[in-house]
Amino acid sequence: MNRDAEAALLVGATVIASLGVGLVNLAQGGTFDAQVALTFFVFAAAFGSLHLALRRWAPSASPFLLPLGSVLAAIGFVEVYRINPHFAGLQRWWLLIAAGLATLLLALFRNTGVAPLRRYRYMFLAAAVGLLMLPLLPTSWGFPIRGVIVNGSRLWTTLTLGPLRLNFQPGEIAKLALVVFLASYLAERQPALTESRKVGRFTIPEPRHLIPVVIASIASFGLLVSQRDLGASLLLFAVFVTMLYAATERTAYLAVGSSMFLAGAAAAAFTFSHVARRFEAWLRPFADPADTGYQILQSLFALGSGSLSGSGLGVGTPDRIPAAWTDFIFSAVGEELGLAGSVAVIAMYALLVAVGVGIALRSRDLFRKLLAFGLAFTLGLQSFLIIAGVTRLLPLTGITLPFMSYGGSSLVSNFLILALLARISHEERA
Amino acid sequence: MNGPIRRIAGFLFLAFGLLLLNVTYIQAIATSTYRDNPLNPRVAASISGKERGRIVTSDGTVVARSIADPGDPSRFAREYPEGPVYAQVVGYSSLLFGDEGLERVYANDLRSRRDLTLSDVINALMGRDLRPKSLELTIDDGLQHAAFDAMGDNTGAVVAIDPKTGAVLAMVSTPSYDPGVMLAPNAAELRAALLEDPEEPLANRAVARTYPPGSTFKVVVASSAVENGIAGPTTTFDDPIEFPLPGSTSTIRNYDRGPCGDGTTVTLSEAFRKSCNTIFATLGLQVGAQTLYDTAVSFSFDEPIRFDLPTQESFFPDPSDLDGPALAQSSIGERDVRATPLEMASIAAAVANGGNLMQPYLVSRIVDAAGETVSEVTPEIRTTAVSAATATIVSQMMEEVVASGTGTRATVPNVRVAGKTGTSDASSGSPAVWFIGFAPVEDPTIAIAVVVLNGGEDATGGSVAAPIAGQILSYWLQP
Repeated sequence: MNRDAEAALLVGATVIASLGVGLVNLAQGGTFDAQVALTFFVFAAAFGSLHLALRRWAPSASPFLLPLGSVLAAIGFVEVYRINPHFAGLQRWWLLIAAGLATLLLALFRNTGVAPLRRYRYMFLAAAVGLLMLPLLPTSWGFPIRGVIVNGSRLWTTLTLGPLRLNFQPGEIAKLALVVFLASYLAERQPALTESRKVGRFTIPEPRHLIPVVIASIASFGLLVSQRDLGASLLLFAVFVTMLYAATERTAYLAVGSSMFLAGAAAAAFTFSHVARRFEAWLRPFADPADTGYQILQSLFALGSGSLSGSGLGVGTPDRIPAAWTDFIFSAVGEELGLAGSVAVIAMYALLVAVGVGIALRSRDLFRKLLAFGLAFTLGLQSFLIIAGVTRLLPLTGITLPFMSYGGSSLVSNFLILALLARISHEERA
Repeated sequence: MNGPIRRIAGFLFLAFGLLLLNVTYIQAIATSTYRDNPLNPRVAASISGKERGRIVTSDGTVVARSIADPGDPSRFAREYPEGPVYAQVVGYSSLLFGDEGLERVYANDLRSRRDLTLSDVINALMGRDLRPKSLELTIDDGLQHAAFDAMGDNTGAVVAIDPKTGAVLAMVSTPSYDPGVMLAPNAAELRAALLEDPEEPLANRAVARTYPPGSTFKVVVASSAVENGIAGPTTTFDDPIEFPLPGSTSTIRNYDRGPCGDGTTVTLSEAFRKSCNTIFATLGLQVGAQTLYDTAVSFSFDEPIRFDLPTQESFFPDPSDLDGPALAQSSIGERDVRATPLEMASIAAAVANGGNLMQPYLVSRIVDAAGETVSEVTPEIRTTAVSAATATIVSQMMEEVVASGTGTRATVPNVRVAGKTGTSDASSGSPAVWFIGFAPVEDPTIAIAVVVLNGGEDATGGSVAAPIAGQILSYWLQP
């Protein structure tokens, strides 16, 4: 019966996506054309297959995950379509691929559960490190896989296969691999990590267990230096520290970790002009409205112009915002759907986090608990960081908004997160 | 282990709460900061092609209007049917160059707030009128045209005021331009040419520029002397050929380099009529720096003028900067004294109105699309410059200027006209030549200031400005 409600909600999301495309067409002088039908079929196929996979292989999974992800994907897709129909066409393929991979994951784990992930943890660590290094490949060399510099950051990799050129952000997949590794590693080492010793009046963690924290911070700063982006390294580092904290219940890890990161961020702001500009734009957006403050001001102008009810789909001018289809998709939605839309989107991310954390809290197995928590936290923090960035609550960082931004790597990684969370919730209830 | 997870989740929810507060602030509370910011490209886009309110003169002549595009009735083009006659007053509204003149100052009233979206419906339900409002000017179209025609090819300005209300009846600045060129297809080129023109056709000389008032300032000096009991029209003065500046080898001489009267003694009234510099330099020293400064301030010198267009302050030096020579020269409107034509017209208007200087205004009413008055100006006294008795005495002296003095060419048949001429001391090129005055003396309906800047080296207020004023006054007083 829960699965039936889920099916009904997924039909709702599919209708939102296709009707949204139709509304954008109408607002721009077009009609309900093939794009509407195509969107309907792609959403129906993507979420239909996931839904059937859950019915068949994880029938006790939480029924909230897919509907939340699908509505966010629908709103994001309509806005991407509104800004750039060409990207929307590609995004439809990515939706199918991402849903296909997530379905495949559910099929693979149908008998074993997520347990095999635990066994191959060092493979995941290697994969994470390897993926994170990919953007550092030379931007022009003989091999078909190269690094790309976008807006001063090295977060992208391009794969050229004959006429096909594929840009992707390996960091999106790497974060997933890293969460799997950490959950596995921490679940096993948990007893050792909670050892402590007394120094005078204070109880501190056994110093040698702090070594991984230090290594992770250094790796994270290495990433920050090499990729010149605060967002990705903050995300990975925060995931690491919070998972460590969750596993050990030692606040010292949190304190040491966050102070080290703050020091690193401050140093980066002084060292890299690219990061310094982001801080400058955050503190004084109106100081140089045509240059440093341009991006964030365009975002704020869009949100302010959207006001309470928004301009309506296809009626605003979100195309004035730079990168509106990726990092700034939230501002575009905020302009066309208004405060109502912004609040709905933020609330849905909060709900998604709540569902994920709920799964973690109910998990009896340590590995699954940490995995579910890590995945939910990654999703939540990433959503928070980019929305906070485009609304000037925090300095802007170059990360995507899960489910909504245009981009294959982001969609694939976030659909895999949904599938993993669904599988874990099934295992706890079965 | 669930403890830390709950705490971290709590932090995340707190963070999402902050996001909600922040978007609420941006989209519901501080909305106008961003939505109406001039840097927001949507602002320009929303004004472009939208209907703007009409600007109409007091007698109903339309000087700015929006015409719907025949092909697309939701798009409008701005028109300025009177072209150069109202250019500096009305200004223009251009997407490329921004707004000028009244189009700029009243942009918020003139623009439409309709955006053809759901918010129009919501606002209509809430009873708000989003349609553009219209402006009604105090200007009389006939007088405005008379003033513009009277100026001809001269460079300068005319300001005419109703002395009893402060309503501006005409405001002309020449040379002018057609504001329509700002909306032409090759507007950038045409505007560049206007900007480079040394005659500065874009400048509003009537309010935004100051010039040395010359002898027209003697109205202020005479008012100060009479008001403070220092001299009256019959007070006699020695009549030298020249006035030696104290502590200096320079002298002040009369325009014809002779004595004022017969070379023995002369009354203040005669000195005023003939505009004798020697006598007014003497009188200025008798009045004293502080007293003269106080009178100048009571006539609105050295004060920001609240007006419907951006104005420049008229300047009279601080008493502490006025030593003997400086005071003597300032008393004949020279040295550092500067005034806008609006200020000089206001001085004449104050004398005409029993010493009360009325707050000048240009827009009398703002009217909404349904024809209801949104706001209306009530005439108010800006300052009481001098007493009614002083005003009467100065008025009589000014009447003699037009009857038999330097201002005879401003005469209007069968009408008692009061006035004062002025010619600034130009070391090279054309002096600023003035006429200020009002009529009819017994019940003034108009006060005027005319300034001409390119009358040639020999131009005087009496020969160049007075005839222009006479022509304008004739139109007004002899329909």
